[in-house]
Amino acid sequence: MKKIRTIDELINEWQQDEELKQNIVHIATIEGREGEYEDFPDCLHPSLKKALLERGIEKLYSHQRQAFDLALAGKSFTAITPTASGKSLCYHLPVLQKILEDSSTRAIYLFPTKALAQDQKADLNDLIDSMNEEIYCYTYDGDTAPNIRQKVRKAGHIVMTNPDMLHSGILPHHTKWVSLFENLKFIVIDELHTYKGVFGSHVAHVLRRLVRICEFYGSQPIFICTSATIKNPKELAEKLTNTKHVLIEKSGAPAGKKTFIFYNPPIVHKTFGVRRSAVLEATNLAARLYKAGIQTIVFAKSRVTVERLVTYLKELTKNKINDGSIQGYRGGYLPSERRRIEKGLRDGSIQIVVSTNALELGVDIGQLQACIMTGYPGNIASAWQQAGRAGRRQDSALIIYVANSSALDQYIVNHPDYLLGNSPEEALINPENILILMSHLKCASFELPFSTDDTYGEFEVQELLEYLQEEGVLVKTNAHYYWMSDRFPAKDVNLRSAAEENVVIIDQTVPGGTKVIGEMDTYSAMTLLHEEAIYLHQGVQYQVEKLDWEEKKAYVREVDVNYYTDANLAVELKVLSEDKAASYEDVTVSYGDVSLVAVPTIFKKIHMTTLDNIGSGKVHIPPMEMHTNATWISFSLPENWSEEMLTDALTGAAYAIGSFIPVFIQCDRKDVTVVPQVKAVHNGRPTLFIYDSYPGGIGLSEKVYDLLVPILELTIQHVQSCPCEQGCPSCIGAQDHLTDGKEKVLKILNILLNEVM
Amino acid sequence: MGYETKILQLKKMLGKKKTEQPEKTVYKKPERPAYIDEWKKAGLSIVENDFGVVCKRQVRYPSDYRHGKYELKQFFHAVEKWEKAEIEHPFSINQEENVLFFDTETTGLKGAGTHIFLLGFLEADEEEFVLNQYVLADPANEAAFLFESKLWQPGKTVVTYNGKSFDWPQLETRWTFNKNYLPKLQSPRQIDLFHSSKRIWKNQLERLKLIKVEEEKLGIKRDHDIPGFLAPVIYSDAVKSGNASGLVKVLQHNEWDILSLLTLYIHSTSLLLDRVLQDGAVTYTNIGKWYNDLKEHKQSEQVLSAVTKQFDEEEAGLAYYYLAFQQKRNKQFKESAESFQKALHTIEGRKKLNALEQLAMMFEHRMKEYSKALQYTIEGIEIIRKADFLNEEQKKRQLEHWDKRLQRLKGKLRKYSEAP
Repeated sequence: MKKIRTIDELINEWQQDEELKQNIVHIATIEGREGEYEDFPDCLHPSLKKALLERGIEKLYSHQRQAFDLALAGKSFTAITPTASGKSLCYHLPVLQKILEDSSTRAIYLFPTKALAQDQKADLNDLIDSMNEEIYCYTYDGDTAPNIRQKVRKAGHIVMTNPDMLHSGILPHHTKWVSLFENLKFIVIDELHTYKGVFGSHVAHVLRRLVRICEFYGSQPIFICTSATIKNPKELAEKLTNTKHVLIEKSGAPAGKKTFIFYNPPIVHKTFGVRRSAVLEATNLAARLYKAGIQTIVFAKSRVTVERLVTYLKELTKNKINDGSIQGYRGGYLPSERRRIEKGLRDGSIQIVVSTNALELGVDIGQLQACIMTGYPGNIASAWQQAGRAGRRQDSALIIYVANSSALDQYIVNHPDYLLGNSPEEALINPENILILMSHLKCASFELPFSTDDTYGEFEVQELLEYLQEEGVLVKTNAHYYWMSDRFPAKDVNLRSAAEENVVIIDQTVPGGTKVIGEMDTYSAMTLLHEEAIYLHQGVQYQVEKLDWEEKKAYVREVDVNYYTDANLAVELKVLSEDKAASYEDVTVSYGDVSLVAVPTIFKKIHMTTLDNIGSGKVHIPPMEMHTNATWISFSLPENWSEEMLTDALTGAAYAIGSFIPVFIQCDRKDVTVVPQVKAVHNGRPTLFIYDSYPGGIGLSEKVYDLLVPILELTIQHVQSCPCEQGCPSCIGAQDHLTDGKEKVLKILNILLNEVM
Repeated sequence: MGYETKILQLKKMLGKKKTEQPEKTVYKKPERPAYIDEWKKAGLSIVENDFGVVCKRQVRYPSDYRHGKYELKQFFHAVEKWEKAEIEHPFSINQEENVLFFDTETTGLKGAGTHIFLLGFLEADEEEFVLNQYVLADPANEAAFLFESKLWQPGKTVVTYNGKSFDWPQLETRWTFNKNYLPKLQSPRQIDLFHSSKRIWKNQLERLKLIKVEEEKLGIKRDHDIPGFLAPVIYSDAVKSGNASGLVKVLQHNEWDILSLLTLYIHSTSLLLDRVLQDGAVTYTNIGKWYNDLKEHKQSEQVLSAVTKQFDEEEAGLAYYYLAFQQKRNKQFKESAESFQKALHTIEGRKKLNALEQLAMMFEHRMKEYSKALQYTIEGIEIIRKADFLNEEQKKRQLEHWDKRLQRLKGKLRKYSEAP
């Protein structure tokens, strides 16, 4: 069946293919480039040199050499490192060099996840082994056995950990780590670009606390950061670490030719503007690549989509026994399962892997030949990260972007320059978020008392400390504020979004043989693990039989059904404070703090292939509350309009506006949410809320406040020019029945634009 | 919600840092807390040293002072007993040692923000006993407080309850904060009575909180004691309000804890060394097992056989089991087999499997009674099949192992019966 072909042969073939060529909207080629090399530095320790030569490395890439020189000169720096550019040597070399020069030297490596740290440790240990030197590197996380913790604290030259562990397991116990903090020379932050939003803001404080503790022990470490391509790496690094950074922008690594195909599924229902499903199209393209013998990674945006794709694709191998050449990979799989898949990708026994963005990060799976993005991943930086997974050094690589029918996807597939010509998004953090700052100020007070003239990072905090004293958690002596409470403040602060803990998924298919098959954050669990939900794991369907929300456990049983489930969240918004406001004749635009309550309401059962709704039920999960920032626009009910008419029109307008916000403020689609309220609680008027999807907010909706006019202009233009007749998923969202919905949405949008212009 | 609203208001007060931080300075003696004279009313005296002030309470006890069922002076007898016994035991104290019974009270459970606010020491002084309690005047005067403990002086033996994993690491943490000024903290010999209580009363006392041990074993009933978890709140209240009346209760609580340490030491020594049984079969079986693990085989055998003589077979089941191993060591195979057989009636699970294996081995290789060996082997295989203490993988391996014995025994039996 299989006929092996090269990428270039395949592209030619597809351009001739009657069925495919109509759907290929655009093809772009990025030529490869040669590598740029530099000699080893003269001072490079002979053992390091030997280890490099053993690995066949005779010269360094120019960026690796630059990194080495900066680190040895004691300068903090950030290096932009595309996939497969040998980024880890940017920090390994200077760190190992310094340890070889002085064995008391210590370094902390920070990875965004436990899994990445463990992965990197194996790699670093290989390098150390071939150096034949006594250098100890350990991971320190929840999995570290108690009997070796002592050893890690006292003797570990390099401690590899994650921000969460640093926050609650290391910093509050710094007196057990004296030899680390007294001799800390390097703080390495890998995957810098992942430290954005609320998580990044939290980590910024964890790092300020770290630096504060280093000062106490008399050490002055430098920061070494590596990052994927984003718009503002230097600014992010400086804000995150509160330290000046030098930027290493140019990678010296060679790269092969890359071909981008922009693929838009055909319209199958003209009136409703319905296109063929992107998932089905991606399946079809992946099957073609599979038959051509091309190792491919397929990216999907959600866990459910990953599992659907795996199910469809496994049809290709169903007649072969024990064939594992098609695999899913996403957060929620157990570490052992993930390691096995990573190995299968490296040794070639796995030919297709379907993944969520879990594989955007630096997990070592080697390079694949082709990449399919099922839907726009939400931002330019992610798109490039995913594309970077394809491309072996000399080989040509193929990247296929399959658009779905959403407005943003339709905009991007028809404007290839948006993706190819724009620089990637900024990664924003906001350490000034007062809720986050206060949480960490407590942690910092717990770790080391503040004096009455101390500052914290770049902040003046005396008044805040005074407040904490009034609250009774600090006592003030003549010169200091001391922690005086039996609480352990780090335990009350979770660095990652609203979800405090994960829901554990327990398979009870085999009586007496129950086992844990995965876990999921609580926010996702609200819509994916409610009772009666169909949960997919490696293409196997499970039904959730019982969800113990208190204990965070979901009990599932294997089933074989022809549908999947999809749950709705209802959102209620309250205004807490109004910080900015502009009034027009009949419209007001405001910005401030809001509180929102999310309640999962009902779920639908959707047929696997026809996508028909074949049943529904209620979801019984308590509501989740969040405080964040929002911009909101209130106006009056247009004359002769009923409230029902307004409901539909507002929903459509919210849908359309929400799609284009990412184009202007360069954020991920899901970072900002637009919610319509026919009668807002605070003023009883029709209102559109545009809020940051993170507790405390990260400054996105504030940008919307200033950019309202161009956002409305583009939205109107897009809705007008959409080829559908009555509104479709590509403009105002799918419409249930034939109405004049599109016209009404445009009317609302025009009312708003005319006033605020 | 209330908290968040307040915090959101504070947002307006958040400024950015303007000036550079001044250089760290050498030790500056902190000021005396304003309330310090008020604290005297709680029966505390004020001690001043180079590092600041610390509050102190001292209590002297005559040697016949009774706490529970012992007089304090019986501690001296206990030490004599250890000297006579000549047993290598983590409990053993000799007369040259400078012994401190030690307990702390803290403001929390863990981490660098947890302060020790009370250090209590009980020690012998000639014929008397003296308790010294030091109270942290305020966190700024911590160096004075730690210095006064004299734990930087060498040559002490410290007796605690769970001190190895709690009090001492906390003390090290506090010392680290002050290490630039204070003499180095010593690493004294530590005897942790929590560890020994666990060994002695395993499967006997469900909870091993000191207060439970006191009630069940030491004949102590505290009146008007505060629960330990209130201590942090009381101390922080005393610091915040300047009123130390609540502290008296904490000092009393700590005093009881430390007196009980001494009583517990006397009692445990008696259990370990006296030949008169004064506790149940489970306790003495535990002690016999402990001696075995310490490689004091003679002691172990003595204690275990005393259990088998004093108690009926059911109560002594586990003692028979451990005794059987000792007898096997001494090559008393017949006695050992008998002990294992007696143990079989009461023991379960993994231990039962071990006993059956031992019996099968001895009957095969020592007594050469193959049919008996076969019977025990079959019984063992039965247990493995039903076992919930083994996972599938272990079961498979065990079954393979036992099957070899089964086949071998069947072979031997065949040969034996075929022989003329």
